[in-house]
Amino acid sequence: MSLTFSLAHLLGGIILLCAFLQLSQRRLAAMITLYQMEALVLAAAAFWQGFAQHEINLYLTGIITFALKAVLLPWGLREIVLRFNMVRAVETALPMAVSMILGLALIGIAVLVVLPTTMSSISLTREDLAIALSVVLLGLLLMIVRRNALAQIIGFLSMENGLVLAAIGMPGMPFVAEFSVALLVLLAFLVVGVFLLRIREHFDTLDLSGLEKIERRGR
Amino acid sequence: MGVVGNSIGLMFGLPGQGMHLHLDALSLLFGCILLPQVVAASVAGMRASVAFWAFVLGMALALLAADGFTLIFGFELMSAASWLLVMQGDRKPATLYAGVAIFSGACLIPALFLPASSLAFVLIALGAGAKAGLAPLHSWLPRAHPAPPAGVSALMSGGMVKVALYVLIRYAFINLAPAQQPWWGEALAAAGALSVLIGALRTVLEVELKTALACSTVEHVGLITVGLGLALYAKAIGDAELSGVALQAALLCAVAHGLFKPLLFIGAGEVKHATGTTSLNWLGGLMRGMPRLGALMLLGAAGMAALPLGPGFAPEFLLFHAVIGAAATGGILARIGFSALLAVLGIGAALALGAAVRIIGLGFLGRPRSLHAAAAEDMRRGPFVAMALLGALAIPVALVPGLLLDLLNPVIMLLAPEAQTPPLAYAPVTLLILAGLAALAAGFVQTRWGVRGLREVPAWNGGFGRPPAWLPFGDPHTQASATGFAEPVMRVMGKGLLGAGMTDPAERFLLAPLFRIQTRLIRLAERVRRATIRERLAFVFAVLVAFLLALGLGQGG
Repeated sequence: MSLTFSLAHLLGGIILLCAFLQLSQRRLAAMITLYQMEALVLAAAAFWQGFAQHEINLYLTGIITFALKAVLLPWGLREIVLRFNMVRAVETALPMAVSMILGLALIGIAVLVVLPTTMSSISLTREDLAIALSVVLLGLLLMIVRRNALAQIIGFLSMENGLVLAAIGMPGMPFVAEFSVALLVLLAFLVVGVFLLRIREHFDTLDLSGLEKIERRGR
Repeated sequence: MGVVGNSIGLMFGLPGQGMHLHLDALSLLFGCILLPQVVAASVAGMRASVAFWAFVLGMALALLAADGFTLIFGFELMSAASWLLVMQGDRKPATLYAGVAIFSGACLIPALFLPASSLAFVLIALGAGAKAGLAPLHSWLPRAHPAPPAGVSALMSGGMVKVALYVLIRYAFINLAPAQQPWWGEALAAAGALSVLIGALRTVLEVELKTALACSTVEHVGLITVGLGLALYAKAIGDAELSGVALQAALLCAVAHGLFKPLLFIGAGEVKHATGTTSLNWLGGLMRGMPRLGALMLLGAAGMAALPLGPGFAPEFLLFHAVIGAAATGGILARIGFSALLAVLGIGAALALGAAVRIIGLGFLGRPRSLHAAAAEDMRRGPFVAMALLGALAIPVALVPGLLLDLLNPVIMLLAPEAQTPPLAYAPVTLLILAGLAALAAGFVQTRWGVRGLREVPAWNGGFGRPPAWLPFGDPHTQASATGFAEPVMRVMGKGLLGAGMTDPAERFLLAPLFRIQTRLIRLAERVRRATIRERLAFVFAVLVAFLLALGLGQGG
C-alpha cells in the first residue's frame, strides 16, 4: 500500500509542477507542451489508481484522458498556433515573478484549506485533494494573468485537469461524472476554437487587450 | 362593512385583517381643518382632476385610519397622488418630492409597527417631519408646493402638511405615550424653532409669490411644532397648565393656518391667471384692478403676519404664553434654551410681518411694474367663491378664538388627559370695539377741529418722479423692487444664515452631500459595468481565494 501512496503522490506532484511551470512560460508552444505532459501524467495517474483500486472505470478514464487531452487537444492547439502564426511571445498582464509568487501562495492556501478540513478522511485522498485544488487554482490564475485568448484556454484546460485528478483520487467516484467533464471540456474547446476564428476574422489578432480597450471606452 | 369594537371595518385591505376606520376628536378636528380647503380647491377649479380626488381620498383615509396599515396606505396614496399633481406642474421638483416621500415612507412604515420606544418616536418624527416640511428636511417644500396649480398648492400647503402633523400628533401623544420622555418635546421644539427661523427668513427674501407662501408654510409648521414640542415636554414632566396652553396654541395655529394659507395660495393662482406671473418684481398696483382679490389677500396676509384682530394672532399669542411658561420650568439649560426659543419666535414674528407687508405692499399697492399688472382684471367667479368661503371661515377664528378653544377641549383631553386649559386672555371683540371707538373719536376730532376745505399743494407723490411720455404707468425702476425691499434683511441675517448664494442651508448640508455620494456610487457602478472579462474573473477568483483562506484559517485555528 505504501507504494500506492508514494506513486500516486509522485504523479500528483508532477502534475502540479507542470501546472505551475505553465505560469512561468512566455511562449505558447512551451505552454502546450507542458499541458501535454500534464495530461500524460494524469492518464498515468488514472491507470495507476485503477490498478490500485481495482476499478475498471478508471482505466477507461485514463484512455479518454490520454486520447483527448494528451493527443487530440495539444494537436489542435498547435494547429491553431500555426494557423494564426502565434509562435511569438505571449503578452502577460502581470510580471512573471509576481504571478509565480501568487501561484506559490495559492498552493499554500490549498494545502492550508484541504489538510485541516479533511482530517477525518483516509490519507490517500488528502494530499491528492490538496494537489488537485492547487492545480485548479493555478489554472484560474493562469486565465487571469494572460491576455491572449489561447493562453486563457490552456489555463481553463489545466484547471479541468485538476478536477479530474481530484475525481480519480476519490474511491467510488462514478465514471459518468468524469466522462461528462471530459466531454464538456471538448465541447468548450470546440466552441472557443470557433470563437477564436471569429475574433481573428474581425480583429486580425488574438490579443484581447484591444477588446478590453474598447470595452473600457464604453459600448 | 362590519363594525368591530368602535371602528368600522372595510371589506378590502390586508388579507385576513381588512382596513379599519375610526373617528375620534383628533381625526374630527383635522377633518374639519381639511374640509373647507377641499371644498375651496374643488370650487377653485380642481374638481375635474382624478389625481386631485385620489389625493383627497388618501388624506381622508390617513385621518380616519384605525390601524397602521390603513394609515400608511392613505399616507402613501396622498404622497403618490400629490406627486402626480406636482409633476403636472414641474418635473424637477417632482423628482425631489418623490425622493422625500419615499424617505418619509421608509421612516414611517417601520415606525408604525415598532413597540413604543424612543426609536419609534425618532422615526415618526423624521418621516412625518419630512412630509410636513420640518427643518432640516424642509428644502423640498418651497420647490414642490408652488409647482402644481393653485388649488393643489393650497391643499398641499394647508392640508397635506396637516395630515403629516396629524400622524406626528397621534403617535407622539397617544400611541407612543407609554414611553414618552422630555427630550422628545425638546427635540421637536428645536426643530420647530429652526423651521420658524429659516421659513420666515426665506419668506421675506423670496421673489416669487408662491414660493414665498410655501416658505411661510415652513414657518407655520415650525410654529405648530414648537407648540407640540412644548406640550410633549410639559406632558412628560407633568406640567398640566403648560401642556394645555401649548396644545391650544398648536391646534389653533393649525386651524388658522388651514384657512388663510389656502386662501393666499388660491389668490396667488388668480394673480398668475390675471398677470401671467407671480414674481413680485413684475407686479404692483393690483389693488386697483383686482379690488376683491386685494381685500381677501389682505385678510390672508394679516393672518400670515399674525396681526392683532387677524386670524393668526390668537395662536401666536398663546404660543408666546406657552414659551414664557416653559422658560420657568426645568434646569438652567432648559431655561436658557426656552428663552432663546422665545427670541427666535420673536424674530420669526417680525420677519413674517415684514413678509406680509412686502407681499401686499409690493404686489397690490404702489404702481404696476409691468403692463400685465396694470391690465389685470378682477378674479374669476370660482376662485372668488373659494377665497370668500375661506375668508368667511377665518373671521370667527380671528374674532372669537375663545369659543373655538372651547371646541378644542375634547381634543386636548384626548391628547393630554391631565392638561388644564385656562380661558384665553385675549378678547378681540372688545379690542375691536375699543379700536372702533378710538377711530370714531379720532374722526370726530378731525371733523370738529380739523382743517376745513381743500388746499392745493404740490404733490409729494410718494417719491415718484413724473412718468415720462413713453412710459404711461411710470418707470417701474423708480419704486423699490421686491429684491430691494428684502435687501436690508438679506444683509443683516440672510448672508449669515443662507450664504452669499441665498441657498437653503438644508440644501447645502443635506442635499449636496447626498448628491455627491450618489455620483460616487454611479461612478462605481459604471466602473463595474465596464470591467473586462479578465477583471470579473479576477474578482470572482479573489473572492474564492478569500473564502478558502477564511475556511483554512478557521479550521487551522
